[in-house]
Amino acid sequence: MIRNYIKIAVRNLWKYKGYSFINIFGLAIGITCASLILLWVEDEVNFDQSIPDKDLVFKIPTNQKYDGEWRTFSIATPGPLAAALKAEIPEITKSARKRDQSSLFSVGEKSINSKGCYADKDLFAILGLDFIAGDPETAFKNKKSIVITQEMASILFGNSLEAIGKNIQVDKETEYTVTGVIKNFPENTSYPFSWLVPFENFTDGKEWTNGYGSNFTDTFVKLKAGAAVEKVNEKVKAILPAKTGDDGTEAILFSANDWHLRADFKNGEISGGRIEYVRLFSFIALIILLIACINFMNLSTARSEKRANEVGMRKALGSGKKQLIFQFITEAVFTALLSGLVSVLLLLILIPHFNALIDKNLSLALTQPTHFLPLIFITLICGFFSGLYPAFYLSSFKPIEVLKGTRRQTAAASFTRKGLVVIQFSISIIFIISTILVYQQVQHVKSRDLGMEKENLIEVPAANGNLIKNFKSIEQELTSSGLVESAALVNSQILSGGNNTSGIEWQGKPENQDILISYRTVTPEFFNTAGMKIKEGKGFGNSQDADSTKVLISESFARLMNTDDVIGKTINWGEQVFTINGVVNDYLYGDMYGTSDPVIYYHQAEGADYLYIKPATGVAINKTLKEIEHVLKTQNPGFPFEYRFVDEAFNERFKSEQLVGNLSQIFALLAIIISCLGLFGLSAYTAEQRRKEIGVRKVLGSSVVGIVQLLSIDFMKLVLLAILISAPIAWYFMQHWLQGFAYRIDIKIWVFAVAGLVAVFIALLTVSFQAVKAAVANPVKSLRTE
Amino acid sequence: MLLELNHIFKWVSQGGSRVFLLKDINLQVEEGEFISIMGPSGSGKSTLLNVIGMLDGFQEGEYNFLDESVHSMKEKNRSQLYKEYIGFVFQAYHLIDELTVYENIETPLLYKNVKSAERKALVADMLDRFNIVGKKDLFPSQLSGGQQQLVGIARALIAKPKLILADEPTGNLNSKQSEEIMQLFKELNQEGVTIIQATHSELNAAYGSRTIHLLDGGRNNI
Repeated sequence: MIRNYIKIAVRNLWKYKGYSFINIFGLAIGITCASLILLWVEDEVNFDQSIPDKDLVFKIPTNQKYDGEWRTFSIATPGPLAAALKAEIPEITKSARKRDQSSLFSVGEKSINSKGCYADKDLFAILGLDFIAGDPETAFKNKKSIVITQEMASILFGNSLEAIGKNIQVDKETEYTVTGVIKNFPENTSYPFSWLVPFENFTDGKEWTNGYGSNFTDTFVKLKAGAAVEKVNEKVKAILPAKTGDDGTEAILFSANDWHLRADFKNGEISGGRIEYVRLFSFIALIILLIACINFMNLSTARSEKRANEVGMRKALGSGKKQLIFQFITEAVFTALLSGLVSVLLLLILIPHFNALIDKNLSLALTQPTHFLPLIFITLICGFFSGLYPAFYLSSFKPIEVLKGTRRQTAAASFTRKGLVVIQFSISIIFIISTILVYQQVQHVKSRDLGMEKENLIEVPAANGNLIKNFKSIEQELTSSGLVESAALVNSQILSGGNNTSGIEWQGKPENQDILISYRTVTPEFFNTAGMKIKEGKGFGNSQDADSTKVLISESFARLMNTDDVIGKTINWGEQVFTINGVVNDYLYGDMYGTSDPVIYYHQAEGADYLYIKPATGVAINKTLKEIEHVLKTQNPGFPFEYRFVDEAFNERFKSEQLVGNLSQIFALLAIIISCLGLFGLSAYTAEQRRKEIGVRKVLGSSVVGIVQLLSIDFMKLVLLAILISAPIAWYFMQHWLQGFAYRIDIKIWVFAVAGLVAVFIALLTVSFQAVKAAVANPVKSLRTE
Repeated sequence: MLLELNHIFKWVSQGGSRVFLLKDINLQVEEGEFISIMGPSGSGKSTLLNVIGMLDGFQEGEYNFLDESVHSMKEKNRSQLYKEYIGFVFQAYHLIDELTVYENIETPLLYKNVKSAERKALVADMLDRFNIVGKKDLFPSQLSGGQQQLVGIARALIAKPKLILADEPTGNLNSKQSEEIMQLFKELNQEGVTIIQATHSELNAAYGSRTIHLLDGGRNNI
């Protein structure tokens, strides 16, 4: 019986190739799109899967209270906290500190820059590092030990197993001995690194790392199995206030399950994160599948006339309703399976492009049951779901009406069909509106006045080697070459939050008010290099020597001080007293959507992490880069020249918004394509159905234009209705999305108009193709076939 | 007795008044009869056949088929009944376009859940008997009208029905094809199959053992 059904299905598909193509291809696009999203979702939710007992592993961020509001800092715990947690809270079985570091590693002639960390031994067990050589128990026995990843081992030594016992020179100074090689991290790891050395290598000789006064390290812990997380969290929260007597700072547990997906904090609590995008996109996948299924249903019921005869005959031959329902669902499932095959082909073609777009490395890997089974499942469900309505509709035909030819399309069926078209177009228009708004928002923030000039500004890591020591001559050589306008050292990346403190006092500062102020140590040319303006007073002058008495402050800081003339006023930080030498304009750093904290600038080269260089105007950038490389190679030999442009770094900060933007563009496009495929099929059907009417009208003297209008106007009404439905829905969702950004656009009414026009235009194009075809047909021919 | 119609009324309401399609029809059919129903267009021949074939309902009256009362039966049992005992032949053949000759003839057996091997044998017999073995893999559109109707009859016969209902079976055929089909009906009738045909043609009616004249939904002559 099933064979009979499939035979019929195949012959029908073959007979009406156009419709079959639309059906199969439309559904295939839907399945492809949903599969891509699910692959992405799988990758997202499987982050940090390599960690054993993930439920028991936590990172310790700190909440700090400023102005009555908790702010959460992810890498900000004091040195002794890790040990204290393990010693004082019995449920915590392991704890480790970790501080990231980027260094130059050399073996013989080979040198690479690599990111890794200073870490305590417990980190091996907490993160479940997989040693393929060496013993985690003894790996950190000696202070000058280093554990590296397979990848790094094979770069430096060619073979990962030969690395054990070999020496590596770090930053051209210190020798470390390889005591372990660990497996590479999977790509979806929140905190990957390439090497680890014992934490003492950072802390030794730094007295300040032993107290609770400085937050400088990450802390990770692992709990005992079965521990009550909430209870432990309370204990963790209590520990810092107990040690410091300050209840404005508390440590909290941050589960490994949340590292990737729920990393946004608001007032000390998790407020969301990428999980929102995961949910959003999963929902969108469902919606896209829905509109693809709607196509299928619509075309099947529209074409029911063609099958009515068969249905009537089968009933007369003794088929029951159930058997007919089963037949049509079998047909739909069979068609869906064909779509599934097409979508596998599409996926194979599209995945590389998709990877490029979302910056991941996903693969179809159909041999994995976790990929294969969902694909089959989605396909079957789509087939079943989209076959359901046509099956019930077709099987309800009365044989006597069909065979006598008295059956007419019911109003209900055509109403349903119109309703489904409206749904499809509403969804498409919502996607178009969202795409425009996301794009606008990203552009809005990108074109925001940063208070500095990021274009062509070059950033070079400066912490290693002799760069800081030789800075004076480097600066001298660069500027005298004529290729560089100015250069300066800073202690943190210009766009990131950097260091901050609430310990700065001034006359007239309100009591009990903790205000977080960022501090930067810079060399005098910093403001010129970054394109910032000195609004009042003077800069640090030309003196190359650090002047520990003068500071510059940002305008927002000056406003805080609430006096008419801040120049010459003094401020205190602990024991130190500084005189304000000038006021600099505010610039945007940290959260690109928010407002940045006030800043205080010191003149100091020591401890700088980055060198910023502003190329001279009108000089080819390649020439300038070559010159910089030459100067740095001679002044700081042995270290490779690494740089990046600040505007590129700036763009990278919009990765997740860019992702949303890119994906919503794709979804909008797909939704439109699928909807148009459906509309194309429907209009072809309508035109065919009205062949005789069109013939008669033409004989009576109607023009081609008149007939095209006649055929198009009904569809246009549906699209207009879709615009009315979608506009408020889109407004509601996008308003909600925009609420998440402090610096955002207003939703303008023209966006809706544009989206509506696009939909009308595309729909008109689709429909009129069929309409024109029907209208120019020879009426004699169409009348004769009746 | 094969079937019995007692005081059958069928009407449609049009603007408040009833238009009768069938008016007080009484009919008794014995097994082995060959009945021709005659009458002008619109007299209700087809309607009567459809009522007998249980494809169509009626408003008043009794219908007993093999001593079962069809009028009080549920749809499902009714379709069970006609599936078992009745075969249909249509003026427009109504073959399924997407199925071959072989598959068209086989279809009723599928709905009766006949086993595959038995189906093959039965269909082969039928093809043989109607001399269309060579055409079994062709589609309806590749056949002439007469051949299509042959397939239609073969399909009606395959399930071994007691009764064949033929609605203008030769209406779309030329006179030679027409004669062949009627001859076939006659042979079938001689083998014991009861046949009721609706027809315009006196010539075709003459093949039957009894003729019923319908006029405007009512019987005026038996």
